[in-house]
Amino acid sequence: MKIKQLIYLRRISQVLFLLLFLFLLMETRLPQNVFLDYSQEITGPNDIRLNYPVMFFFDMDPLIWLSTTLSTHKWLAGAGWALAVIGLTLFLGRFFCGFVCPFGTLHHAVGAIHPDVKGRKAVFRNEKTPAQRLKYGLLLSVLVSALFGLNLAGFLDPIALLFRSLSVSILPAVNIGIKEVFDAMAASDIKILNLVSYSAEIIISPVLGFGYPAYQTGFAIGLIVLILLFLNRIRPRFWCRVLCPLGALLGLLSFKSPLGLEQDETRCTNCNKCMAACQGAASPRPGLKWEPDECVRCFNCQDVCPEDALSFRFTRQKFEKHGPDMGRRAVLTGLTAGIAFPLLSRLDGQIHQASDPRLIRPPGSLSETRFLERCQRCGLCMKACPTNVIQPSLGEAGIAGFWTPVLNMSAGYCEYSCTLCGSVCPTGAIHLITGKEKITGPIRIGSAFVDRGRCLPWTENGACIVCEEVCPTSPKAVVFREADVAGFGAERLRLKQPYVNLRQCIGCGICENKCPVKGTPAIRVIAAGETRSPKNQILLAS
Amino acid sequence: MSRNSLLVSRRQFIRFAGGAVLYSLVPAPFQGIAAETGSGFIAEASCSRAPCDVRALTRKLFESAGGMSRFISKGDVVVIKPNFSWARSPDLGATTHPDVLETVIFLCQEAGAKKVRIADNTIHEARNCFAVTGADQVAKKTGADLVFPLSNLMRDMNLQGHRLNVWPVFTPFKEADKIINLPVAKVHGLSGVTLGMKSWIGGVGGRRNALHQDIHQSIVDLAQFFRPTITLIDAIRIMTANGPSGGSLSDVSVANRLILSDDPVAADARACGLFQIQPSAIAHIQLAQKWGLGTTDFSRLTRYQVEL
Repeated sequence: MKIKQLIYLRRISQVLFLLLFLFLLMETRLPQNVFLDYSQEITGPNDIRLNYPVMFFFDMDPLIWLSTTLSTHKWLAGAGWALAVIGLTLFLGRFFCGFVCPFGTLHHAVGAIHPDVKGRKAVFRNEKTPAQRLKYGLLLSVLVSALFGLNLAGFLDPIALLFRSLSVSILPAVNIGIKEVFDAMAASDIKILNLVSYSAEIIISPVLGFGYPAYQTGFAIGLIVLILLFLNRIRPRFWCRVLCPLGALLGLLSFKSPLGLEQDETRCTNCNKCMAACQGAASPRPGLKWEPDECVRCFNCQDVCPEDALSFRFTRQKFEKHGPDMGRRAVLTGLTAGIAFPLLSRLDGQIHQASDPRLIRPPGSLSETRFLERCQRCGLCMKACPTNVIQPSLGEAGIAGFWTPVLNMSAGYCEYSCTLCGSVCPTGAIHLITGKEKITGPIRIGSAFVDRGRCLPWTENGACIVCEEVCPTSPKAVVFREADVAGFGAERLRLKQPYVNLRQCIGCGICENKCPVKGTPAIRVIAAGETRSPKNQILLAS
Repeated sequence: MSRNSLLVSRRQFIRFAGGAVLYSLVPAPFQGIAAETGSGFIAEASCSRAPCDVRALTRKLFESAGGMSRFISKGDVVVIKPNFSWARSPDLGATTHPDVLETVIFLCQEAGAKKVRIADNTIHEARNCFAVTGADQVAKKTGADLVFPLSNLMRDMNLQGHRLNVWPVFTPFKEADKIINLPVAKVHGLSGVTLGMKSWIGGVGGRRNALHQDIHQSIVDLAQFFRPTITLIDAIRIMTANGPSGGSLSDVSVANRLILSDDPVAADARACGLFQIQPSAIAHIQLAQKWGLGTTDFSRLTRYQVEL
């Protein structure tokens, strides 16, 4: 194949995979126009599912597969794609970084914008630096942590990072900007603006979400990805070269790949065009040692070389040169961090002692230890949740569980029959359940309690009982008893005061969400009673 | 002004306001309906044999009442307010039967309606509700618009009610030529029953959960504001326990009846009978009658009755 064609092939592949990533991200939602056949009994096995395999990029991510395999010692479903990527990497090198990775493509595009960088400066930016060893240290810390039961891969895995950043920060932020314009138009007295506002919202909402989805720590998540993109100003693909643990893993795998760069020193005129074009800082110029583990197989060098001194060929590599440049210090630091993180992170007592009452996990979540072995903090469940109740945790799950999904009932509530979050989890931290398991048991995610000091009927401030109205179980978990109370007026009041039947309550939190007592609602859900933890129980089993 | 003095003045007002005095004192929006009472009708249809053909029953009911063209004129924009509050399948009786809705939409279209819209501000997340209750499927089949309760469709309006004044209203209802209220018959923990007038809580947005603090007056305030052309109460399946959300087939009983009226109070009062509840026991029905929204005295109405 001609080299020119290879460059175009790479660009087409990058654009297609980026578009596929964005499409699957957009489709990670309650499907639009779900037409369930209502003549059938829907209380049965008729659960709403997504139309597309939105976990595809996670399934083929070798870092997610490897870290989860190390932490769980179990075979991950959908691992075939990841193994295929590993196999191809052994053969072709880091093609995933150059051809597939959507985050890499973003960095590639942002790094390509440098109107002021020319000549010597452009070459300097792409020279290999010792900092590039850092990614091996990060990879080691992630893998060793996983071995000790704490899966940190999702913080740094490019697929999880990009999905999380887009779905819980960038897109919701864009949405807020757009919706505020729409709302201003809707409030206008000009009829045509009202109509445009509604039609525009109907078009935009399926992509960006209905209403104003919001996520705690969204600011930090967005800031981090913006900084990572900004780092391309210092060095192109700074993320891919210095930080990406998936890049490091694929680099190690590609060290012996048969597809290698042949450098012809006799033809080279030292024009340095290859160096100015190199995406991976892999030293392609003849006379330098080409680094197969740093090369992202973008094929730029071969393309720009005017003397045909560079060519990628399937040959037997000369391994005697040197091993991958990991750096002893980076390796030691990575190992130390990998051992320290899982142990230090247990110091908040979330696993061995009482867990935080706000640590309410999505329905179908595994027990906390198993959960932290698997969760990638990728945000798929948060994006798929139709009520925005699933939030990236701040302190609820401790440091080890930072950014893992927790339910915040003031942001939303767990829809009674909905099981979308479990259906999109790429590693099974939330396992796939049916609506039936939520409705008829055994799944429960917490327990509700009435705060009599705040409740309107209990404080004799008036009638309410919204919690009883919205309670979705049958028979209702929130019940009321009538009481004659003095009230604050001239005559006595007869009020219905709420009680929670803990054996019925599933912890869905709609009572807390709809309670008219703002701020701290008068009925609140805590995690105790959740089926995923045999320890975190209140009642003696019935 | 304190809350107490308001309460007293209302009570005094109601006590002293007799028929003609009441009429002259009630705010303008009430007068139209008050004038119509006495000339209204109530129609009922029931299935005597199982299985009940709900679509045929609905058609027969409208035929008996003079046909849909009596209510819907050519070129009308009709907005139907079903009760799709909960993401529950139709067999659980928590939501309007989709076959009834479908037939009503077809009848409107046959009567020459320019556009038929389905609108409800649900309690559960709206897309889930519309998917599970069959609303999506009906909209697709009939070509009616299913209007989502988006925030930019809520507009502050003065309800001119006794308890509620400025409140966000779901705008499709104010932009309609004709409104058809199509609730399902259920019991309710606080208001006793959820029928036609209670269903208008789904016609507004805002802090709806605060309406429970004076539920009966709130219902009447909303009912005088929305004033549907007709109310069709779906009592194919009625929820007799655990209302208004239900969730179990044991909460539901099959009544196979439909009640149609141009008098929202009469329709609700009639449907109370399904639950063996006296209309006089439901405070908002009594209050609505006092305020002249309609009557619970069926002898003042033209009555139609059909069986299938």
